[in-house]
Amino acid sequence: MSAPIADKAPSRLRDDILPPFLILAVVLGFWELSVKAFDLPPWLLPAPSDVAARFIKTTTLWYHTGLTVIEALAGFLISAVSGVLLSAGIAHSRFLERGVFPYVIVSNAIPIIAIIPLLTIWFGFGIAPKIMICAIISFFPIVTNTTRGLKSADRRVIEFMHSINATRSEILVKVQLPSALPFIFASFKIAASLALVGAVVAEFYSSDNGLGYLIITSATQLRTDLLFVCIVVLAMLGVASFMLFGYLERKASRGEQIEETR
Amino acid sequence: MEGTRLQGDPAFLDHGPPPRAVSEGEPSAPVARPYIALEQVSLRFQSEHRQVQALSDVDLGVDEGEFVALLGPTGCGKSSLLRLISDLIPPTSGVIKIRGEPPSAARQAVQFGFVFQEPALLPWRTAIENIQLPLEVVNYPIEQRQARCQALLDSVRLLKFKDAYPHELSGGMKQRVAIVRALAWNAPILLMDEPFSALDELTRGQLQDDLLQIWSRERKTALFVTHSISEAVYLADRVVVMSPHPGRIKTILSPGLPRPRSEDMRETPEFLRWTRMARETLRS
Repeated sequence: MSAPIADKAPSRLRDDILPPFLILAVVLGFWELSVKAFDLPPWLLPAPSDVAARFIKTTTLWYHTGLTVIEALAGFLISAVSGVLLSAGIAHSRFLERGVFPYVIVSNAIPIIAIIPLLTIWFGFGIAPKIMICAIISFFPIVTNTTRGLKSADRRVIEFMHSINATRSEILVKVQLPSALPFIFASFKIAASLALVGAVVAEFYSSDNGLGYLIITSATQLRTDLLFVCIVVLAMLGVASFMLFGYLERKASRGEQIEETR
Repeated sequence: MEGTRLQGDPAFLDHGPPPRAVSEGEPSAPVARPYIALEQVSLRFQSEHRQVQALSDVDLGVDEGEFVALLGPTGCGKSSLLRLISDLIPPTSGVIKIRGEPPSAARQAVQFGFVFQEPALLPWRTAIENIQLPLEVVNYPIEQRQARCQALLDSVRLLKFKDAYPHELSGGMKQRVAIVRALAWNAPILLMDEPFSALDELTRGQLQDDLLQIWSRERKTALFVTHSISEAVYLADRVVVMSPHPGRIKTILSPGLPRPRSEDMRETPEFLRWTRMARETLRS
């Protein structure tokens, strides 16, 4: 199951953290040298050092970032709560499953970009339509995965619960929801990064703040270094949410996974 | 040993003696009605293309405190029989009575303790927390839960594993937890669906002896589904031999070998005679 114990003590720093940073350092070094060697104009490709300088100098960056994060987080939370509740309903009611599920699929089939103008007409240029976009885009993976997770609960345990006259809500809370937790966190992992995409795309269309706005303006003004700063920030946000929910997912499924590999 | 109650057992859900058959307007001696009675029970499943006759005209009576084994090949409906009795599925026709009442009443009174072929424990709960699960559902007095669960674990020699998770336990240990989970709230009827069939021979023998000890101490009415002839004869007072397509009762054997039973009994001519008889009945 586990690797044989080597003479040298395993080191997380050496085994897990060092390799990607080494690769990153090599790539950045190569990039920096190429820009300097070929004398590339900064609007075409800024050197990493220029990007880093821009990152420090741009004082409004955190304001824009904060706004985008709030939009994405609010939309994600709306979807997380309503999605898990709807899944609980779907898992318990055939009618709901048959009646609602087609529309859950439709919500995924419509390209999100097509809805943004409509929501802007209805709700204006403020934060509300962006939150909605984030909620809509993250809804589908949460509902499908949570429903699957609720249904993955051990059939025998549910039968046992029925045999002792347990109520549906007892079965849901004590058996189905805990069984679904790894699935729920896995879907949160996907949904959180989708919500971030939703927020940025919504800001492209109609906004005067947020990272999406910053990207559009820096692109039109050929401020490529700022464009790179935005991309890096978005990447870090995505990685952070991925790591958080990935950790929760592993934590929630630890027992089962070990059981499966035995 | 017999009759001594487990420590921390507050006689919760003690259902008292079963009501004797009191047939009004019938002055003759009361008919001893069996504890669990099945009359002309049939079960049909509707699968996509055809109807499957899972059980056909089953008549069976089980007395209180009796250990009955249901023996037969796959597809003879013996598992379905347990599910019918415990009100998990309704019969297509026929009548089932538990102490003269329909199975739904007995299920609502939480009189069934179910053990499956797989331990079916919750992987995120420790051994003791798994045993607590039914106690939470039946609203067992909170202050007595801990003591009750510890006593149960102790009775199957697992007290020192009480905080272990299922994946840290062996197959036999897990099944022992599943058995005491089914006993936790003192259900009078123990229903077991091939509980030992996934275990190796040695563990299996151990668990059979464990089960017999628990059964004689707690005086349950036990229904035990198995496809092992020797297991059925070793454990049961009566062996219900079933045959498939459609599932029905072929014969009921009453070996009733002396108790307490032990490993040595498996070599006695008496034991071998009954296993041979059961085998011949199954084949015929």
